[in-house]
Amino acid sequence: MKRLAIYSIIRKDIRGITVNTRLFASIWIVPIIFTVFFPSIFVFSIHMVPDDPDFIKLLEQFPASLQMESTDLSIIALIANYILPVFFLMIPIMTASIMAASAFVGEKERRTLETLLYCPLTLKEIFHAKVLASFLLSMFVSLSSFLVMLIVLEVEVFFLMGSLLVPGISWLIVMLLIAPAISLIAITLIVLGSAKAKSVEEAQQSAVFLVIPIILLFVGQFSGVLFLGNWVLLGLGILCAGAAFVLLLQSMKHFTYEKLLK
Amino acid sequence: MQAITIQNLSKTYETGKEAVKNLSLSLEAGEVFGFLGPNGAGKTTTVKLLTGILTPTSGTCRVFDLDPQTEANRVHAVSGIVTEHAQMYDHLTAMENLMFYASTFGINRSEAKKRSETLLAEFELTDAKDQKLASFSTGMRQRLSLARALIHRPSILFLDEPTSGLDPENAQRVHQMIRKLASEEHIAVFLCTHQLRYAQEVCTRYGLMDEGTLLVTGTLEELRTSTFSGQTLSIRADRLPAGLPFVSCGDSFYTTSIRSEQEIPDLIRTLVAQGVNLYEVSVKKPSLEDIYFALTAKQTEGF
Ligand SMILES: Nc1ncnc2c1ncn2[C@@H]1O[C@H](COP(=O)(O)OP(=O)(O)O)[C@@H](O)[C@H]1O
Ligand SMILES: [Mg+2]
Repeated sequence: MKRLAIYSIIRKDIRGITVNTRLFASIWIVPIIFTVFFPSIFVFSIHMVPDDPDFIKLLEQFPASLQMESTDLSIIALIANYILPVFFLMIPIMTASIMAASAFVGEKERRTLETLLYCPLTLKEIFHAKVLASFLLSMFVSLSSFLVMLIVLEVEVFFLMGSLLVPGISWLIVMLLIAPAISLIAITLIVLGSAKAKSVEEAQQSAVFLVIPIILLFVGQFSGVLFLGNWVLLGLGILCAGAAFVLLLQSMKHFTYEKLLK
Repeated sequence: MQAITIQNLSKTYETGKEAVKNLSLSLEAGEVFGFLGPNGAGKTTTVKLLTGILTPTSGTCRVFDLDPQTEANRVHAVSGIVTEHAQMYDHLTAMENLMFYASTFGINRSEAKKRSETLLAEFELTDAKDQKLASFSTGMRQRLSLARALIHRPSILFLDEPTSGLDPENAQRVHQMIRKLASEEHIAVFLCTHQLRYAQEVCTRYGLMDEGTLLVTGTLEELRTSTFSGQTLSIRADRLPAGLPFVSCGDSFYTTSIRSEQEIPDLIRTLVAQGVNLYEVSVKKPSLEDIYFALTAKQTEGF
């Protein structure tokens, strides 16, 4: 009985996003830019621009594991393994934020939250259903974006350079640990903020604070300052997962019917 | 079992506003209780305390022996709740909305469909069942809210201003449905409204609230006898009768107050003997509004 109730809340929340064309578009536009547009630009420009001797010298300083059969391929592999994953920190944050803002603040704004609270589920169960709905959508968007990007990259690299790319281990860590963890963090932050936020926009703004550090990290990666090894990445992932877990538990404690409806 | 028991319930908001002061009352199953009072009297606050949305400052309340504080979800399982702020989804149709709320109560699809169709028919919404709620009028929304509150066959209905924003015709319809529900399905109804005139036609018992305080409870007859010592006899005649305590109230109407019906035959005989032409004789009983104003006036005078 409870399972049916929780399942239908999740379904309703996800449907609430997919039937809203504006929200649905905003969820997909950024991932498409990140996973199709940017990588394609990289691949084509690397293919067109003649090799710069300075750059080749720079590449030679990287570990042998990164060296590929051609300079072009090495550069693409470098971008694919060290720059593109950063987009996959932003995609789950954006999706989770849009979804969570609509599922919590949006329901409050439209005065449907109170009706939902009158169902025979406990506050905790309703909360879990809603967090899970945001999390599932966020992971679906992230994983499918990843697949799309992989296909686009492989096809382009294959036709332009006649070879295939092998994604590094870092992808595994990013997609299976870091992305889920930070989408949970984004969701809980939005939910915590939703007690105060009076509008969906206001709630989404609080998520911006999450995106900024990641952009900084991105810039760091790009200039080669922050060159994280897989172990560091794994450590970071575990840290994020821990933080997500603690935040989730804390935010749950915070809630009463009264606070939610205020 | 009592549907509701409230003992010394008080709620003071963070702002310092004492919205409910030391409220005690009880409600039997099958009763339609009219919880009446002007805006700001504390009605909504009481409903929120009974449904577990608010925490009382002191005192206790129980709904079918469940504590809304610790087991709100179990209170919700036996309650149908309609409040002004409990809206449904605009992007879903009437049917989809009902199906969704049914599923949150653990009702499976086929049963939910049957139940929704019955309720939609009962509330005259069958023609609109596949329309999105965005296109619904206030009256239709209100009726759908009632249908939604009944989807899980609750034992008690909390209705907070169910007719606010409705025209008299729609309000009448909603009230007829409430009365029918109570008599046919034996549901207890806790009806909050500031429209005393409407409430008089619906409820079996009343509680009058003013500024967080429960002034009085009882049936209409009980309230009448406890508030007014008598009734008003009103006649339409061609002239003011002499020597009798009638006062003119315009348009050939004259009134006097009497202690009981037994006084009427003698009065009429005297009038006829005087040669007064009588066109109409009626006994006016005080309405809920009369009672309410008499009580609040007493309050301000007496205390
Ligand atoms: N959340 C709140 N915070 C502070 N005061 C409130 C709050 N809700 C209601 N009140 C005040 O409490 C009093 C009772 O309100 P309410 O229960 O809504 O009355 P009613 O439903 O009878 O109109 C009013 O004076 C109202 O302004
Ligand atoms: Mg009210």
